[in-house]
Amino acid sequence: MERKAIVKNEAGLHARPAGILVKKANGYKSQIEIIFNGKKVSAKSIMGIMSLGLFKGSEIIVSAKGEDAVEAVNTLVELIEDGFGEI
Amino acid sequence: MFGLFKKNKKIDIYSPVTGRAVPITKVPDEVFSSKMVGDGMAFEPDEGILYSPIDGEIVQVFPTNHAVGIKTKDGLEILLHIGIDTVIMKGEGFERFVNAGDKVSAGQKLVEFDLDLIKKMAKSVITPLIITNMDMVDKIKCNYGNASQKTIAASITLR
Repeated sequence: MERKAIVKNEAGLHARPAGILVKKANGYKSQIEIIFNGKKVSAKSIMGIMSLGLFKGSEIIVSAKGEDAVEAVNTLVELIEDGFGEI
Repeated sequence: MFGLFKKNKKIDIYSPVTGRAVPITKVPDEVFSSKMVGDGMAFEPDEGILYSPIDGEIVQVFPTNHAVGIKTKDGLEILLHIGIDTVIMKGEGFERFVNAGDKVSAGQKLVEFDLDLIKKMAKSVITPLIITNMDMVDKIKCNYGNASQKTIAASITLR
């Protein structure tokens, strides 16, 4: 299951939103990945997300495989599109 | 006998700033103090320079130059975040000296930052050092108090 999402935060996915995303992702059993510019990283590791260098407006794909994949993707996409409560 | 001669690798992490090392729970930001993204410690810098705490490779420098991710040759991942809520400064007062992919040595200058500007504009100058892949770590022993690039801030025992 995968869905597109656009990073809304002014400073991109900086420490606070990245931390929230990682914590949320780790709550799911599914394997979850963030894909950007052809690069795939695990959504469960902040270092992986940091390595993507996401900025405001970046279009990413949230992809998950597993029993709670649908819930995982929908929840994470909603979080991202809401700017993690910062906007 | 299985395990009798097994020695878990120990990695020393040096202080990334000149100042004082404090427990991670002292950081005024839940993302760090609650160990949401990993465990570690924090530093109160007296000088506006961030040094590499260890030999490794730069994973990424945030576009606003206030945070750096480093990966060591053993695979340990370390996140350094200069100050709290410093992202609002949009890079003002920060100058980077390294980029993603650069190999660095312990004590090498990574970023220069304006301490006074951070004190004025951001929430705090406290600088967390977080190990983000704790699944590799057996235990962390932190040394609090006065710190410099020559002092071992923490000893990490790998699994």
